[in-house]
Amino acid sequence: MASSMSKSSEAAKPFDIVATYNELLRSDPDLTMPIAAIEALVLLLTHSPSSTISETLDLLEKSTAHLKKSIPNPIGLSAGTDLFQRYLITTLQRPGQLGPAGDFNAIRAHLLSNGRLFIRRAKESRHKIAAFGGGFVRDGSTVLTNGGSRVVASLLQKAADEKGGPSAVRFRVIYVLSPAKDTSAEPEGMETVRALRAKGVPVATIPESAVAYSLGKTDIVIVGAEGVVENGGIVSRMGTYQIGLLAKAMGKPFYAVAESHKFVRLYPLGQYDLPIEQRVIDFNTEEDITDGHKPQSVAHSSDVVDFTPPHLISALITDSGVLTPSAVSEELIKIWF
Amino acid sequence: MPSTSVALTPGLASFLKSLKTNPIDTSIDNLISLLKRRQIHHSRSCATATAYLLLRVISACRTTDAAKLIERVQSVGRRLVAAQPREMVVGNIVRRVLGLIRDEAEDDREADFNLSEAGSESQPQTPRALDDPSESMYGRFEGSDRSSSRPPLSQPAPISMFSLLSHPEPELSLPGTPISASPSGRLLGHAPSKDIRAEVLEGVNEIIDELGQVDDQIAAYALDHIHSNEIILTHTSSTTVQKFLLKAAAKRKFTVIHAESYPNNHEATHATISGNSTGDDEILSTESFQKPLIALGITVILIPDSAVFALMSRVNKVILGTHSVLANGGLIASAGTRVIARAAKVHQTPVVVVSGVYKLSPVYPFDFDSLIEYGDASKVISYEDGDLVDQIDVQNPLYDYVPAELIDLYITNLGGHAPSYLYRIVSDHYRKEDISF
Repeated sequence: MASSMSKSSEAAKPFDIVATYNELLRSDPDLTMPIAAIEALVLLLTHSPSSTISETLDLLEKSTAHLKKSIPNPIGLSAGTDLFQRYLITTLQRPGQLGPAGDFNAIRAHLLSNGRLFIRRAKESRHKIAAFGGGFVRDGSTVLTNGGSRVVASLLQKAADEKGGPSAVRFRVIYVLSPAKDTSAEPEGMETVRALRAKGVPVATIPESAVAYSLGKTDIVIVGAEGVVENGGIVSRMGTYQIGLLAKAMGKPFYAVAESHKFVRLYPLGQYDLPIEQRVIDFNTEEDITDGHKPQSVAHSSDVVDFTPPHLISALITDSGVLTPSAVSEELIKIWF
Repeated sequence: MPSTSVALTPGLASFLKSLKTNPIDTSIDNLISLLKRRQIHHSRSCATATAYLLLRVISACRTTDAAKLIERVQSVGRRLVAAQPREMVVGNIVRRVLGLIRDEAEDDREADFNLSEAGSESQPQTPRALDDPSESMYGRFEGSDRSSSRPPLSQPAPISMFSLLSHPEPELSLPGTPISASPSGRLLGHAPSKDIRAEVLEGVNEIIDELGQVDDQIAAYALDHIHSNEIILTHTSSTTVQKFLLKAAAKRKFTVIHAESYPNNHEATHATISGNSTGDDEILSTESFQKPLIALGITVILIPDSAVFALMSRVNKVILGTHSVLANGGLIASAGTRVIARAAKVHQTPVVVVSGVYKLSPVYPFDFDSLIEYGDASKVISYEDGDLVDQIDVQNPLYDYVPAELIDLYITNLGGHAPSYLYRIVSDHYRKEDISF
């Protein structure tokens, strides 16, 4: 087996889970954070010859804690690590071939040998979501979306395909773009805009400040999410919350699209209750002109997130169907209790 | 042509009568044309007619193969739904019957599996008998089917979130291929089962019983919700609402403000209040004769629909009937309901919707407009008014879509639920693979 070979060759240098995680995310732009975390943990198991259950669980716990500490925003990631840990424990507790009666090595082998499969499934769940979500994009409707969510992109592209290609496009997209971190790079989401335009979908790009102005011409709002929290709210890129508030105020349906592996066990009570530190509001008494005109640690909208509470969300489009926000807690309860 | 029962006015009663004598295909055509002509149009009548028809279809379908039975019911169901897509209860009943067949087939197969397991321990029947238990959790369409394809080990409910990590799929269904072709066919196909039809027929009869009892079951909750000296506002002549009010009226004194729902339902509404109810062919059982509300000493105030907002400030509670309830907690009810719900929201008056579970549809309302049906324009302006009819466009929408946030509580025969909880009842009643049959 390949894993045993790589084990011997790399035994010398200690396995760095943080580097692995970052490398995974970098190497595959299609990878989501939870999946990268699961992959990193699988690789960790490959590299550590633990053979007992408690040893493995202990190792996982320690590495997870380390990984979470080293990443500025571990919300999306923790969905993956939690899911992995629960899966392991649940499978071990369950009677059956992989349970305590069976061989621990069997489940280990299953996990190790199927790393690629998990990634593939995660990507496929996007197609599934796109299939469910297709019904939301109606003929003649205008969709407002934001950010660089891959799920939203695949949903819209699928809808564009269904409507019969360039000749018979019947929906339009208003894409909210936030400026890129450095001015030279193009804003996140441009790729989707281009892909949609190539399919003949008329796309308008607007800055975040024009959302309220544009909502009058919008029929539905579809956004992606980094994590879906227990009360059914979503943690998503900065700016989503205000779109949600505005959509509610204008009476437009607001749909969040997320794979079910992004459900995370977190119950934020408000914006400032997320377990991460974001220096978005940074009070100063002095003019901030220290280095250039770039204030240090500026909270940039592609790095920082906000929390959209469940009452703003009409429905969550997930790979297990179209859920109301309150259904999320049930899914989470199923894996934890 | 189907109608051999010309003596009766076509409707539910004549349909049920003819069902016994007519050949099955004639009956199907008959119901389709009745639905198309809107000669059966109440939710419950449609549900009852569908249930009785499916009862006939199943008993006439001489097969022991569950897959064939499902196919037959599906094809009949598709035709009925196509005949009147806005009558969502028809689809609901078909889905429930399909669910019944699947359940029975699986029970059957499970028992079968146990037997063979006991017989030959070492030799699994299918490759999947060896699979990881959680393997079945992959795939939304498959979850429930699969879980019973292996010996029952008293496992917890399938956990869809684990779908990502579970075992790879063997052979045919690569995770990538869309699994729209439900595997149940394969699964149920080779079950060398006994005749499951008897059990399915029993189940369909239970559904029919449920349709008969639903109003009384809902009415049992009336005393929890209607208190002494309250002022209740209601709308249309829904029998569910009437029974609900009558039940409370037996114990309590309260006032009912009844919006008359002109022009589609005002006559029936007047009748339910005054008791001059003419023979309503839609009501099946003979004992469903309504005592008028006033006979029980309730003060009833009949108002035109336009006065709803003005009176809302005095109202303690709004109780509404509905045409169908959708999976997101919204509902389709007779025109005018949304105005009432809106007015209630403005005055912070609780809105309670009474509805049988059979009206709860797993359909997600992607496009609200398509769910609204338009009716006879002559009810607004009669055609005798020729001059006027020539010059103006008269529309008479029969239904309203009421979004979930305007509703505070649903009372079904299972109890009271918040709108956000309805998805749960949907998943309890319908199987995922049947949602788009």
